[in-house]
Amino acid sequence: MQHSPSVHGQPQQRQFNPYSDNGGTILAIAGANFSVIAGDTRQSEGYNIQTRYAPKVFRLTDKAVLATNGFAADGNMFVKKVRQRLEWYRHAHAKDMPLRAIARLIQTMLYARRFFPYYVYNILGGIEEDGSGAVYSFDPVGSYEREACRAAGAASSLVQPFLDNQIYFRNQTPAPGTSHPAHLPLAHVLSLVIDSFTSATERHIEVGDGLEMYVVLAKGTTALQVQDLTAIAGVTELTTTDDGERLFVVRRNLKRD
Amino acid sequence: MDHHPTNWGRPRNDTVDPYGTYPIHQRPTNVPKDAFAAGIQHTQQPIVTGTSVLGIKFKDGIMMAADNLASYGSLARFRDIQRLHPVGEHTVLGAGGDMSDFQYIQGILDELMIDEFAAGDGHTLGPAEVHNYLSELMYARRSKMNPLWNSLLVGGFKDGKRFLAYVDLLGTTYSASTLATGYGSHIAQPLLRRAVEGREDTLTEDEARKILEQSMQVLFYRDARSLDQYQIATITAKGVNISESRKLETSWSFAEGIRGYGAQTQ
Amino acid sequence: MFLTRSEYDRGVNTFSPEGRLFQVEYAMEAIKLGSTTVGIRTPHGVILAVEKRVHSPLLESSSIEKIMEIDAHLGCAMSGLTADARTMIDHARVTAQNHSFTYDEKIKVESVAQAVCDLALRFGESVHDEEAMMSRPFGVALLIAGIDELGPQLYHTDPSGTSMRYDAKAIGSGSEAAQSELQDKWHKQMTLQEAQILTLRVLKQVMEEKLDQHNVQVAQVTVDKGFEILDETSLKSVIELM
Repeated sequence: MQHSPSVHGQPQQRQFNPYSDNGGTILAIAGANFSVIAGDTRQSEGYNIQTRYAPKVFRLTDKAVLATNGFAADGNMFVKKVRQRLEWYRHAHAKDMPLRAIARLIQTMLYARRFFPYYVYNILGGIEEDGSGAVYSFDPVGSYEREACRAAGAASSLVQPFLDNQIYFRNQTPAPGTSHPAHLPLAHVLSLVIDSFTSATERHIEVGDGLEMYVVLAKGTTALQVQDLTAIAGVTELTTTDDGERLFVVRRNLKRD
Repeated sequence: MDHHPTNWGRPRNDTVDPYGTYPIHQRPTNVPKDAFAAGIQHTQQPIVTGTSVLGIKFKDGIMMAADNLASYGSLARFRDIQRLHPVGEHTVLGAGGDMSDFQYIQGILDELMIDEFAAGDGHTLGPAEVHNYLSELMYARRSKMNPLWNSLLVGGFKDGKRFLAYVDLLGTTYSASTLATGYGSHIAQPLLRRAVEGREDTLTEDEARKILEQSMQVLFYRDARSLDQYQIATITAKGVNISESRKLETSWSFAEGIRGYGAQTQ
Repeated sequence: MFLTRSEYDRGVNTFSPEGRLFQVEYAMEAIKLGSTTVGIRTPHGVILAVEKRVHSPLLESSSIEKIMEIDAHLGCAMSGLTADARTMIDHARVTAQNHSFTYDEKIKVESVAQAVCDLALRFGESVHDEEAMMSRPFGVALLIAGIDELGPQLYHTDPSGTSMRYDAKAIGSGSEAAQSELQDKWHKQMTLQEAQILTLRVLKQVMEEKLDQHNVQVAQVTVDKGFEILDETSLKSVIELM
């Protein structure tokens, strides 16, 4: 219970508050031909850990993965509704919805609730129709943009500056005669993601317990890239088709304190 | 989750009555209203409340516990209330929070189970289905700004699988091998985690019961809205069993030794 | 032929004992009275051509509109009660715009054809005591041409709410002769210009008047330029090539 000092004589509002904050952090990084979407698995309210395993990252199609963060009840309901729309689309148009169409759909669904928003920050990652890795990030009412990387949630203020520095090379000057790469290789990105979460776990009480990291590889990914991935502990392949994108999930432990 | 149900669903920094007496004394009068609000009354606070519910996994299924008290503010109003309710053959629902809302939910679920039985199609709703139904119900009501003021545990065993999950007035859901609502989430949950985590598949029924008894005892010592009369529900492959009301064995002599707060500061 | 049909043609949703919906069949008859309309699919795009019946020398032939745009990548030609087509094309346009608003992509040709068919079947529909929105089936058939990720496509929709994809299709009063001519002359690797010429040749065969740039209209959907109606000069040059 919060024993904040009661201010006598002041009118106090006692209205039902339909929102809560369930902590946690999510993050996604796009490579040239892959995309990594990750989130921790702790769900909390205030100082209580509700559970050590509540997924925040969801596979939508063979090449699209959605991470949600904020108010968990809204997040779960939102994912449920997005999946329903994806199925309707599949029935109406006889194909999986492309990533960029999912991004726009999410905008319209979020904005439809502009005056009673889903209290959720969404990050969508996957492979575009042209085979490039992509990340789309959203605010709760539907503003969105395509980016190379984005962190959201409780520890976003810790992780995003790290990503700005390591992905966008902010505040770094390239050695004379060289330039910063536009895209990083998979193995490098994976270690950045893992470092981001171990660091966020150290410094933020709402982050920890478990890490779930989805990796989508575009069609025709080299065996070398797949090796980079399978070298990591805790990988499971979730691919369903023989000739399409490949989907993996990496599950790891984070500190539980 | 705040241990006092009146504070659930409110902003975390809201000014609150630390002794939880306001169902009698402090009815809200200054809630902003529009021109049409007079005709509709939505739940703004719980009135008659139940406290913690506990639930754990063990080798053969799920075990849950809740006391028999329904409080009216700080008054111990009803001392023989059932807070563990069977739902069909495989599921038990345990509730903290507003008891009239809980009894309304019982009514809905009983009707649902009758409808499913009447369909006669060989399908029966298990704990996962009941929990999902409740999460939709609770979320829909919170979205109408007219919540059912409860935090609920759903425990069950069906098709060889254990199930234990939580849902509350906001529609928030989660699942774990030990769960506790209300004051129990502060006091009992750490004890349950230490006793159960990693031992879910080896704990016997007797061991599980012992863990819950001890937790209920600690809760009775520490929670001013609790009672020493409680029930234990066991859900296994054999079905649902909700015990008769049982009494906690308590000894208060340890209180003599407590120093540092209360009457004795030395 | 209609004498034996007794009262089973009164309700739009009443089957005859032989399992037919006469009002729908009558609507199909209305199309056979309409001017001939031809569509041809090629690997490079789709051609639509219609005959414009100019029944009076005082009629401004340019005011007869039988080919319309649905979206930048979709066009549509009609035959039958052309006024009915306005409702359907309106619906198709809204559907296409809604799709690109919601999904940030061009709608597929098949999806538009399906949306039009969904509308076509809504005759006689009513909820509780409310009046039905549409009292009778549409008396018009459409040729929907477009290009999407599956390439150039041509769809035919009729009052029964059926849509089918064709390589080449003729509808309207001269459709029987026109269709068999298309069957003879269509081949897989036609160029756009060959297709333009073929549509006009087919129309010429079934038209009573002499074909010129005033009594036909030609449109095309191409990969580069999307939907466009040929202006009088380019139409004239195609006619000269015939």
